[in-house]
Amino acid sequence: MSADASPNAQAPQPSLLAQNHFLLRRLHSLSGIVPIGVFLIFHLFTNFQMLVGNFQHEVEFIHNMPALIYIEILGLWLPIGFHAVLGIAYTLGSNPNSIQYPYMDNWRYTLQRVTGILAFLFIFVHGAKLRWGFTFGGYLDTPFYLHGPHGEPLATASTAIALQHAFPWVLVGYVVGVYACVYHWANGLWTAAISWGLTLSVAAQRRWGVFCVGLGLALAVFSAGAIYKAATYPVADQQREMIRLMEAGRTLPAAPHDKVLELPLPAEEAHEAAP
Amino acid sequence: MTAPANTKNIRFKIKRQDGPGKASYWQTFDVPYKPNLNVISCLQYIAEHPVTVAGEKSTPVVWDCNCLEEVCGACTMVINGKVRQSCSALLDELLKETPGGMVTLEPMTKFPVVRDLWVDRSRMFNALKTIQAWVPIDGTHDLGEGPKESAENQDVRYSLSRCMTCGCCLEACPQFLLGNQFIGAQAISQARYFNLHGTGKVLADQRLDAMMGPGGITDCGNAQNCVKVCPKEIPLTESIAAIGRQATVHAVKRFFNGPPRK
Repeated sequence: MSADASPNAQAPQPSLLAQNHFLLRRLHSLSGIVPIGVFLIFHLFTNFQMLVGNFQHEVEFIHNMPALIYIEILGLWLPIGFHAVLGIAYTLGSNPNSIQYPYMDNWRYTLQRVTGILAFLFIFVHGAKLRWGFTFGGYLDTPFYLHGPHGEPLATASTAIALQHAFPWVLVGYVVGVYACVYHWANGLWTAAISWGLTLSVAAQRRWGVFCVGLGLALAVFSAGAIYKAATYPVADQQREMIRLMEAGRTLPAAPHDKVLELPLPAEEAHEAAP
Repeated sequence: MTAPANTKNIRFKIKRQDGPGKASYWQTFDVPYKPNLNVISCLQYIAEHPVTVAGEKSTPVVWDCNCLEEVCGACTMVINGKVRQSCSALLDELLKETPGGMVTLEPMTKFPVVRDLWVDRSRMFNALKTIQAWVPIDGTHDLGEGPKESAENQDVRYSLSRCMTCGCCLEACPQFLLGNQFIGAQAISQARYFNLHGTGKVLADQRLDAMMGPGGITDCGNAQNCVKVCPKEIPLTESIAAIGRQATVHAVKRFFNGPPRK
């Protein structure tokens, strides 16, 4: 074995990325756990209230949070963008070999990269559609309305219409996307404990693994409950018609429900106003 | 000269390469079966009878080896798709894995090929230099006795000391590639080994600094293949976690204390 030839070569100044390599990697790990992972828990728990609890009330609470746009930008879009850009760059620098070395941990590794990319695509489409109003050339005409024109609750009905869409791939894409997020977060929480040096021994890693599997299963159950409810919810004809009319008549693509919220009507009046 | 016709033959499919950067190609050889063969003794037979199955006269297949008892790591290669030492790869075991009787030999893919099955493993030795994998006791003055070693510490350090720099952990690692700069489980585990040493730990901060740059500890993807293919059963994933913790603490200290005074 020959020794390396150039120990005395003048090393060039390392790039800013190289100088902050450790910090970037640890921020990548941290951004996946807090805020993205914690948000995922709250989001899926909120969704679960479609089946048990008051989904409408929860969504109204979230939409009425103060400084929501800053929470979204600083707590969600920037961390997700940062985590995704670095994650994709790291994935491109790897060479998964689960076929050659088919250990369970190695499949877990490969699946982490696959679900990361799926989760990123899903989160982009999900946010672009429901928050920014993209329709992807009309293929994803599934608007989310919190209220009807006179304050009628529509949160569950909008979700149900989306998941009962004529194209089954909306439901399939949603299920794959949500479960990719759940896996990526639960497995990421497990590996982060090794990377940060929390779980030192194999036994500790196994114990933490039990916790992460439990958390992942809990989130999977929350999502399954919400998906079941939305897929089987009997959407009333008038709710469907209301959403169709609001969709046809709206002028601004972004967040139409915010404008509706400005003029809420009492519940009995809202019932009379419904066609 | 080919094998006698009345004996059972074992067929070897070998990936060959005539030199660094040259194109690789496959050749197949037959070796007559005997009990208790290992891959090295078959390669020795092929060196003596370098004639392919097609009857074509070839050259002896080149490989690297030294101790022949799985303690030096030199004869590591990819055997039937899995990285391991060829000296401890027994044909009676291999033939159970492959009922067809074909054994495939390839050089490791994460190191540059010198010739045929012989690879250049310098990258691992350079990694040991990067992390200063030694105890700094050079000097003309009397350093006195070394520090006492606890039985628990000794236990851990013994398991880490078994590393023979064979490269199995790196060959099986999906993050360690021929073209990248990841330092890999072998050097990470050695950094832990020397940071645990009573005298060796004086270089701990410098080892961690080296371990925190590009290609360092953070480039581990936790696939955990390393620990499964390690022939010396070194707790490599525990070493990765230990260095991860040391790096976390080191980074926090650096953040609040600033860089070391020169």
